[in-house]
Amino acid sequence: MTPKPKIKDLLDESACAHNKTRKTACNAPTPGATTGGCAFEGAQITLFPYADAAHLVHGPMTCLGASWETRATKTGWEGRDLTQVGFTTGISTKDVVFGGEQKLLDAIGYIVERYAPEAVFVYATCVTALIGDDIDAVCRHAEGKHGVPVVPVHAPGFVGSKNLGSRLGGEAALAGLIGTAEPEEATPFDINLIGEYNVTGDMWQYSHLLEELGIRVLSTLSGDGRIARIRTAHRARLNVIVCAKSLVSLTRKMEERYGIPSVSLSFYGKRDTSAGLLAIAEALGDAELVARTRRLVAREEAKLEEKLKPYREVFRGKKAVLNTGGNKSWSIASALQDLGIEVVATAVKKATEADREKAREHLGEKGVLMMNPGAEQSKIIDETGAHLLLAGGRSLYTAIKKGIAFADVNQEKKKSYGGYGGLLNLAEDLKNALENPVFTNVARRAPWEK
Amino acid sequence: MGEVSRKSKKPLQVNPFKLSQPMGAALAFLGVDRCMPLMHGAIGCTSYTKVYYTRHFAEPIAIQTTAVSDVTAILDGGDYSIVESVKNITGKVTPSLIGLHTTGLTETKGDDIRAVAGKIDFPLVHVNTPDYEGGLESGWALATRAMIEQLVTPTESIDDDKLALLPHASLTPVEVEKIKEFIASFGYEVLALPDLSTSLDGHLGEKQAALSGGGISVEQIRGLADAGLVVTVGDSMQGCARALLEKNPFVRHLHFRHLGGLEATDALAARLMKETGVERPQPPIARWRKRLQDAMLDGHFSLGQTRVLVVGEPDQLAGFCQALNEAGARVAVAVSTVDSPQLETIPAAKVLVGDLEDAENLRDEYGLIVGNDHAEALARRFGKALVLRGFPNWEQVGNQLKNDVLYEGGAYFLFEAANAATALREHKEGH
Ligand code: SF4
Repeated sequence: MTPKPKIKDLLDESACAHNKTRKTACNAPTPGATTGGCAFEGAQITLFPYADAAHLVHGPMTCLGASWETRATKTGWEGRDLTQVGFTTGISTKDVVFGGEQKLLDAIGYIVERYAPEAVFVYATCVTALIGDDIDAVCRHAEGKHGVPVVPVHAPGFVGSKNLGSRLGGEAALAGLIGTAEPEEATPFDINLIGEYNVTGDMWQYSHLLEELGIRVLSTLSGDGRIARIRTAHRARLNVIVCAKSLVSLTRKMEERYGIPSVSLSFYGKRDTSAGLLAIAEALGDAELVARTRRLVAREEAKLEEKLKPYREVFRGKKAVLNTGGNKSWSIASALQDLGIEVVATAVKKATEADREKAREHLGEKGVLMMNPGAEQSKIIDETGAHLLLAGGRSLYTAIKKGIAFADVNQEKKKSYGGYGGLLNLAEDLKNALENPVFTNVARRAPWEK
Repeated sequence: MGEVSRKSKKPLQVNPFKLSQPMGAALAFLGVDRCMPLMHGAIGCTSYTKVYYTRHFAEPIAIQTTAVSDVTAILDGGDYSIVESVKNITGKVTPSLIGLHTTGLTETKGDDIRAVAGKIDFPLVHVNTPDYEGGLESGWALATRAMIEQLVTPTESIDDDKLALLPHASLTPVEVEKIKEFIASFGYEVLALPDLSTSLDGHLGEKQAALSGGGISVEQIRGLADAGLVVTVGDSMQGCARALLEKNPFVRHLHFRHLGGLEATDALAARLMKETGVERPQPPIARWRKRLQDAMLDGHFSLGQTRVLVVGEPDQLAGFCQALNEAGARVAVAVSTVDSPQLETIPAAKVLVGDLEDAENLRDEYGLIVGNDHAEALARRFGKALVLRGFPNWEQVGNQLKNDVLYEGGAYFLFEAANAATALREHKEGH
């Protein structure tokens, strides 16, 4: 008998041997000490906003039962919106024993017949990947039979994190959709928005400005997306990656295959929105467009400043501690600074190296980058006299104990904070938080307590 | 009783409102003080469960994953990932119990968690909960049964004043509390297993929790077998009672299919009177009974003209349908997540195991919906009245304090249902 390979060794090597300096960041999740979603969730988030496609989850109940109707990915799609419809093969013991391929094929047929989607995404999940259902073959067969794209998505949860799943979702779109149709017409200012999912309508905070500039969004991956459009994405002049590191490999491949360059930017806060619009104009390489964009940005900033005036009073001299993850560690910081709030600390525990650098840039020398925010934040509030804690729900008690205002930034969002308009929403929410007496009231002792 | 159809002819579920067994098991473990549910599977299942309950209860939820990866999925029989998990959990916090339960993935690869659990030197309960079988209710019941089988110390002695309450998965924290109080007013010391009434009832704790707080203690579970009476609420809990009876042959068992409406509450009161010799229950109970009767009368006019769709877990469904039926509402369609013996008893024209697409196809048959968040789109699209009940409810706050059982909760529930139906009718006529 050959000795059993040491699982720990395999896990350490499996991911990123090329990346010696940051090996831990690429490791597999730690048993008993992990939070965060699986690859399937990431893939679903990435593709889900295609409202005219059906999203069929091939697996047992946990995968879909707890995930449909969880995100407000708004769509302008008229009529029935398939992002509101959850489809699953809901496999049973019988399928686990005998295989779920026939059921999957029948399910696709059922969906095509009754819901007439423009495409069907079929998601493999842990169990169906493990029992070895040949999803590719079923999809190919169904596509031939029904004449609509049926796209397999290979991101079962056990392959890794949400982030990896997003990447795999992008790969599925590239393999199954991009380049499979031609646009009716092409303009010199056609762009793709990549990694913008239009959660709470974020995209609509700036899409009208692009339109006014004469920049056409040819397709999106996948906010307010259309299948017919993503199929033509290969004809765009520029890929615009919005706040999403995970889709960089997709845009790289599109550059290699179709010669489309890309820019990466964020639409949070005033400065970033303005810089983002200008970056797009510059990347499209048209002097007249750049000039037009400058004028538009100046106009929008002036309009915004006018509306922000009453808030600036409230925010003067206010300090905030920010405890969130990923690109939010700097994008929200930037938005706060636009409002005149000093950001004294931000959490970078869950951020990538690049995000950390950005956070450092935004916060300057004095700002604290918290590596262990759970333990650090309360000390920093004391030291700096911060007035506001922006964090996930678990930190609420810290705020109450310190008697300062609290805003939940990790809660499944209901309101958009994107673009110029979103900054006003953020200002309003923070003003409400600062003025809310609830934080001191709930900290009050009962008459019978000392 | 109407026709019952138990088998869907569809090859898929469209708009399912069913939840998985592992989610039910995790919830049951959260009803134990300082317990850490440990889901044996890939990270997503746990993450979904955590987010799901955090949003539903608006409380921090403690739960961990064994984080099975592509490598461990193939090479590990659970020895590595489970043992490693226990090490990592206990390195940071000191739970009183670890609630180890499986998912579809680890069941498919055939991990023998019983064997692995045997090697772990830490209080731990293990249970198999594949998510391709059963649902929330059965997962909850399986975990509860496992706790009884693996923790409770066998005995032959009996404490006549002690009563073990085994509530089904859909009873809210405050409902469990109300049932405990109702029974306690007859002179019992009541211990509920699991007990969400003290762990997820939404009281403001002193600090953020890394473990569940409140709930029945492990010590109390260990000593459960000398309870003179065990009371099960919900058919799903029958197996748990049997497990407790195996620990002590002298324990007696009272079963209630649900505690919704007048008749069911009367039955509970009658049994408790008989057991204890108490001739009149406490005054508040008698007063609430009259209020419930009044609510039935006040609500009957609106409810009498109303046909209802109820969707939910079987035990929950049985309670709602009975309460509505008693006040004159006609349940046109009852859709259950999974099959259960309860379905035979439900007073509805049609009873089916299915999804919300099935409910949508029958939309001309009802005007009021009692169901979870996912039913909201259906209500909105077709102009139905909606009373939000069950998992999940992310639209509203205060889920842990929604009380629909016994005389008191029954009165509130009927008022709410009648008002919703009236509001919709007036809204429609006003058009
Ligand atoms: S980890 Fe696997 S089984 Fe769990 S939700 Fe993700 S894909 Fe589904």
